[in-house]
Amino acid sequence: MKPEPREESVAPELNELLERRAARVREKPLESEEESLFLVAEFPVGEETWAIPLESLRAAVPLRSVTPVPLSPPHVIGILRFQGQIVAALSLASLLGGRGWREDPAVLLVVDAGGGHLVAVDCERIPKPSGIPHALVGEARARSSGAVVEVILPGLRQIHLLDLRRLIVETGARGA
Amino acid sequence: MLEQLLPGFVEESAEICERATRNLLELERRPASGPRFDDLARGLHTLKGSAATLGLVALSAFAHKMEDAVLPLRGSDQPLPPNLADAVLRSLDVLLAHLRATVTRSEPPDLRPSYALLAKASKHSAAEPAAAAEKAAEENAQVKVAEAAPESGEASWRVATRQVTSLMREVERLREVRLRLDERRRELDRAIMQLSTPALSAQTVEARTLLLSVRRALSADGEEAADVVASMEDGLKSISTMPLRTVVEPLRRTVRDLCNSTGKEARLSVVGAEVSLDRRALEELRGPLVHLVRNAIDHGLEMPEVREARGKHREGALTIRVEQQGNMLFLEIADDGGGIDLPRVREVAQLRGIATSEELAVMAPAQLQQLIFRPGFSTREAVSDVSGRGVGLDVVLAQVQSLRGHVEVQSVPGQGTRFLLSLPAELGSSPVLVARVGEHFVGIPMAAVESSRLATLADLRIGRSRVQLVHRGQLLQVLDLGALLGLRQPEAPSEKSPLLVIQTQGGRFALTIDEVLGDRELVIRPLPQEVRELKAWQGAATLARGELILILRPDFLTAASKGGEHSVAATRRALVVDDSLTARALHRTALESGGFQVHTAASGRQALEQLKHAAYDVLVSDIGMEEMDGYQLTQAIRQQPEANGMPILLVSARDAESDRERGAAAGADGFLTKKDCVSGRLLSEVAAVINRRKGAQ
Repeated sequence: MKPEPREESVAPELNELLERRAARVREKPLESEEESLFLVAEFPVGEETWAIPLESLRAAVPLRSVTPVPLSPPHVIGILRFQGQIVAALSLASLLGGRGWREDPAVLLVVDAGGGHLVAVDCERIPKPSGIPHALVGEARARSSGAVVEVILPGLRQIHLLDLRRLIVETGARGA
Repeated sequence: MLEQLLPGFVEESAEICERATRNLLELERRPASGPRFDDLARGLHTLKGSAATLGLVALSAFAHKMEDAVLPLRGSDQPLPPNLADAVLRSLDVLLAHLRATVTRSEPPDLRPSYALLAKASKHSAAEPAAAAEKAAEENAQVKVAEAAPESGEASWRVATRQVTSLMREVERLREVRLRLDERRRELDRAIMQLSTPALSAQTVEARTLLLSVRRALSADGEEAADVVASMEDGLKSISTMPLRTVVEPLRRTVRDLCNSTGKEARLSVVGAEVSLDRRALEELRGPLVHLVRNAIDHGLEMPEVREARGKHREGALTIRVEQQGNMLFLEIADDGGGIDLPRVREVAQLRGIATSEELAVMAPAQLQQLIFRPGFSTREAVSDVSGRGVGLDVVLAQVQSLRGHVEVQSVPGQGTRFLLSLPAELGSSPVLVARVGEHFVGIPMAAVESSRLATLADLRIGRSRVQLVHRGQLLQVLDLGALLGLRQPEAPSEKSPLLVIQTQGGRFALTIDEVLGDRELVIRPLPQEVRELKAWQGAATLARGELILILRPDFLTAASKGGEHSVAATRRALVVDDSLTARALHRTALESGGFQVHTAASGRQALEQLKHAAYDVLVSDIGMEEMDGYQLTQAIRQQPEANGMPILLVSARDAESDRERGAAAGADGFLTKKDCVSGRLLSEVAAVINRRKGAQ
């Protein structure tokens, strides 16, 4: 049975409000707003704010049950099991050249470092998801082509956007 | 036993026939030489050898006939004649149909028409059958092939390897879930403990009772989950592995048949064939083993009379020895025959254009021996059923290399030849001795452990640069595993220290460890690529509670015993004490970049233990540690006469003046916050505390 349209009287002021909202939605669709943001996982390293693309983040797990690997390079914290795989846990601060930290890292971020290759990096706190305007990311990448690009947000807040895959390759941390 | 192996051989033959078909079609369009021709020849040779091994004499002879038809064209600059390609293609169909009929015990197709086809196509055919007879034979062959059972009736599935490995990962995940259940139960225990105060309301008592009941149920669920995981692991292991004897035992028949046909006498001994291996690897190994055994009888062993004249037993000794060390498999095929005839190898290599006389003149014996692995190499002047076609050892090498393995050959003139195949065995499990060194647990493949014992001072010879142990009348070098792994300065064993006597790859020595925890049957898996190249480790395995344990490579220990792994370039030593793994890693990064050799300790107690055995140029310690904090550690060190002059730098997450003052009062020389621990800052502060100490002395 085809539903009959309901005929209800709407107050003119309410009608006007609904019209204004509809016009706003038509003017700037929500989808395009979402598309203009580059989603990242944001976390602190010492006094600085760092971020990795959210799409590369697989999990944030407590930093425990890591088996240290004697004779490994200093940036290797150890190995751990993650979903049936043995994954290397790396010290991010060490990969970045030895930065200070405020709290002993308690979290490991399991990250897809390219082609399904998982690595875990340490982190002082559980990262929070946020969005950076694509335009700002584009500008930052135009200024720098390395593994780390500095994104300046409104209010001069700075985020170090990290390409972990490149960092691992650049520092030779991937092994042979 | 042989019947059980037939379905596997059907699969193997189907794959070989498929590849041979592709090669034949390609060779119809291009010169009959190069890798495609070699691959075709290898395939036919493998079919012949494997069929003979399984007692399928008719099929072995049939494959031999196909070789006869094809091999004279090796190196030709003309494409394969279409009638020959056609004859071999049809013969391969007939062979496969014959094989399937054998498995299903149905009427096999007649091979005679195919023989006739091959004979006609081959230029070496003895008689040219009449055209009508050929046509009839051809039709007959086609009909019989069509009638033969198309597939084996065996109730089995072919499952892609990745599906099995993906299932294994899921089991691993399930194991993690089981571990999380344990964690939840411990959390519940803590909650129940907190509700154990004497004065509780009736409601709280009720809640506590309920929690206790949930805890019991959770415990039972955890145990059941553990059983399920163990059972699934066993099931997966039996699906994916098979004892090596299933491939090795049929070789006895090969040896018997070959002895009958060559007039030689030989006895095959097999040692260690109970090792279970990845089925894929076993299938790949079947061919190389057949080739090596046939080769040993045909080329290696002498005729009985010759052996007797040389003072040997009439019956030649052929030995297959299998040994698994961790996830490495070693297969040795040895004979006590005449050894590789190097002058003949040189002669044949030159004759067949494998190497020039100039190249041969400068080759060492070991290099000359390697020539036998070149395609087309054979020292046989006449082609026999067994060998002489130059197909064989190149197949062995190619197949072992396809399994990421190596082949070595050692030969002594007049005494025999030994082929050593080494290859990774990823899915099999192997016995491992679990030992503790400091805070680390390591696995040592049992195959390398000769015995374990406690040290007695009467048996130790402690010199300035090395320690030796008198063990069963022999003097053995003693190595400290902790020092070899860079965990501490070398320590001489004390009375009743546990020692392992290691015997591997020609080396025999004693290893100092801190504790033996027992042996386990473990599945050793490869390490992630970030640490895969480390020479010390061959992989990691999961212990019952889910923790990972690293497995040592015995050859790392052997190299260390010869002095290869023990050099220390750094002159200054630092001890880092922190209960955070990542903090230790960061301090290590900074200090190593400043030229320090760094040892680490996860607690104050461990640090004091290490200081008993070694001196350090500086100690960097965290303040906030459980059991013994940085202040208490500093005070304890300052009370030790041998270490009280050592510079100490305390590191804290807090930046408080009171902490600095407390550290100074305890005897620390410097203070740094973790946020200031950038590498340059840590190094300059370390240099400052060392200088302050020197200035004060």
